[in-house]
Amino acid sequence: MSLRVGLPQGLLYFQYGTVIERFLSELGAEVVLSGETSRSTLDCGSALDEMCLASKIFFGHACSLRDKVDYLFLPRLVSIRPGQYTCPQIIGMPDVLKHNGGKLPPIIDVNIDMRQKPRQLYQAVVAVGQLLGRGVAASLYAWLRAWQCRERLRPGGQVMDGRPRLAVIGRPYIIYDRQGSLDTLGKLDRLGLAVVTPEMVDIGEINRGAAKLGKKLFWSNSYVIAGAAMALMESSCPVQGIIFITCFACGPDALVGELIRQHAWRRNIPYMQLSLDEHTAEAGMVTRLEAFADMLTRRLHV
Amino acid sequence: MIVTFPHMGTLAIVLKALFGNLGCQVLVPPPTTKHTMELGMRFSPETVCLPFKLMLGNFIEALEQGADTIVTCGGVGPCRLGYYSVIQQQILEQLGYRSTILTIEPSLVDVYKQLKTIAPRAGWGQIYNAFRVAGAKMNLLDDVGRAVNSLRAHEAVPGSVNSLWEQAVLAIDLAETCQDLGDLRQELLQKLEAVKTSTAKEPLRVAIVGEIYVMLEPFVNQNLERCLGNMGVEVCKTMFLSDYVKGHVLRRQKYVEIYRRLEALANPYLSHYVGGHGQKSIAYTLLKKQQGYDGIIQVYPFTCMPEVVAKNILPKVSQDIGMPVLTLAYDEQTGEAGIRTRLEAFIDLLQYRQAKAYETGKLNCEQCRLQKGY
Repeated sequence: MSLRVGLPQGLLYFQYGTVIERFLSELGAEVVLSGETSRSTLDCGSALDEMCLASKIFFGHACSLRDKVDYLFLPRLVSIRPGQYTCPQIIGMPDVLKHNGGKLPPIIDVNIDMRQKPRQLYQAVVAVGQLLGRGVAASLYAWLRAWQCRERLRPGGQVMDGRPRLAVIGRPYIIYDRQGSLDTLGKLDRLGLAVVTPEMVDIGEINRGAAKLGKKLFWSNSYVIAGAAMALMESSCPVQGIIFITCFACGPDALVGELIRQHAWRRNIPYMQLSLDEHTAEAGMVTRLEAFADMLTRRLHV
Repeated sequence: MIVTFPHMGTLAIVLKALFGNLGCQVLVPPPTTKHTMELGMRFSPETVCLPFKLMLGNFIEALEQGADTIVTCGGVGPCRLGYYSVIQQQILEQLGYRSTILTIEPSLVDVYKQLKTIAPRAGWGQIYNAFRVAGAKMNLLDDVGRAVNSLRAHEAVPGSVNSLWEQAVLAIDLAETCQDLGDLRQELLQKLEAVKTSTAKEPLRVAIVGEIYVMLEPFVNQNLERCLGNMGVEVCKTMFLSDYVKGHVLRRQKYVEIYRRLEALANPYLSHYVGGHGQKSIAYTLLKKQQGYDGIIQVYPFTCMPEVVAKNILPKVSQDIGMPVLTLAYDEQTGEAGIRTRLEAFIDLLQYRQAKAYETGKLNCEQCRLQKGY
């Protein structure tokens, strides 16, 4: 019987989930997903104190897998790009989980630290393969196959169809989490806005945008979202508005949000910041989104 | 060029000596007060950590008084401190202040470049001397500070240690050469020896762990060590400015070894560096238990990422080794009574534990005696 490996659907799952899923199944493991975020995920995650909403959601997901799997796949993602970190809370997540999650199955917590040596990733791949009883070559091959499937899954580019274009800037694990973000993307779409997220921006443009920020940001997600925001503001056809979605107690976002706000202010682009936490009420959110959408449409007609 | 810098405990004295001796005109920002905090809060992003806001407040106050060059530190993450200066510069620009921010990044080349901007005409001799005097002041301040923190619990005349500390700070600020500082060190040590102490009972010993800015800045932590000292508690701060400089900036062998040991100690609980002092908070909790301390107080600014990680692990550490831990997150709400109440409750708990341990100790001794047939 193959080993059941649990994959919590939170934090960097939204960026690398498909790759990891494929990688683990290539290695012969049965991957068990925790499912979409629900109210009970949030309730369970609230056991953590002062951590950001996304960490709490992740914690809830991991706990929900407790009795269903032989292993929890929870690599310590220290850095996914040279010279950058993910964020302290993501780095500390495996330990926080171990000491707060009660009785958990064994955790696969290999370090992935590409800050100084990008090749370290392959060491991690081999280590995971060994844990699942595979050799070096088989593990690397599995990773290669998984990585190739990622290329095919990248989201399409931006749409230009005459609707007001709105940039929704935020970490993937916040804006794509339907429960966590209260389906902001869907709501904006129904309000008749063409939404652009950082994932739709070309990486080259992101790099060029980020280069205009002065000092290079040392958190990889912040780097991407700030670079994307800059690129969208500076392009030949800039977005008409920016909504910055963050969660309460997200450290890097407190600074990055301010950075984007100032640049938007200089270019006279409307900017709104939405902070989410586990108490966020839907009505308040809807009101603010509607007001922002109304304002954007009116600006277009004036 | 009029140079200014942020406050952090006694940092201003050290930096004043450093830049003064490098031949710059120095403007020490007015002491951090409620007004500083309000200024900083008004112009900072809402959920950024407290040091950002206070530093911004310091900068605005100093610029108002005529400073034009701000020297501050950079970093490479993952703590937010490393990106402070970029945002602060933008905020100051937006407010219409004309100033240059010199950010000292942790690389030798950068330090050299900034040094040449700050003191273009200073020779190597002068630079060496400036650093030596500043270093001597820093060491003396921290040595006296350390002694004062443990002595306060024993003083016979309430307030005598505090006034000695204030005199010492003034004298160290005024001293000009290394020679003066050497003499001053002897004098201060004698004065510390001469403080009248009462030997009534064994005081509680508490270690403070956590984030350096909150630990060192008495305005933020509301004179935590003084408050504890007045309650008759011996205080050990696990991080002083000199520790930070020698350990993180100069990477002295002795400190590197200590940090390696601490890392090994924290490993079962937090096995990777999470930025700031998160891992050390856990390591020191374990170490201080071994050294026989009675309790730990963790301090940090609200939303500090590394310390929040440590905070979520500390309850488990505390449970495993039987060490009481009190966590205090500071933000701009400076309710003194709230903090005081919590401190008093914590100290009560420690006293109760101490008394209980003493009782059981006595009991054990009696049992021993009985068993041995006395």
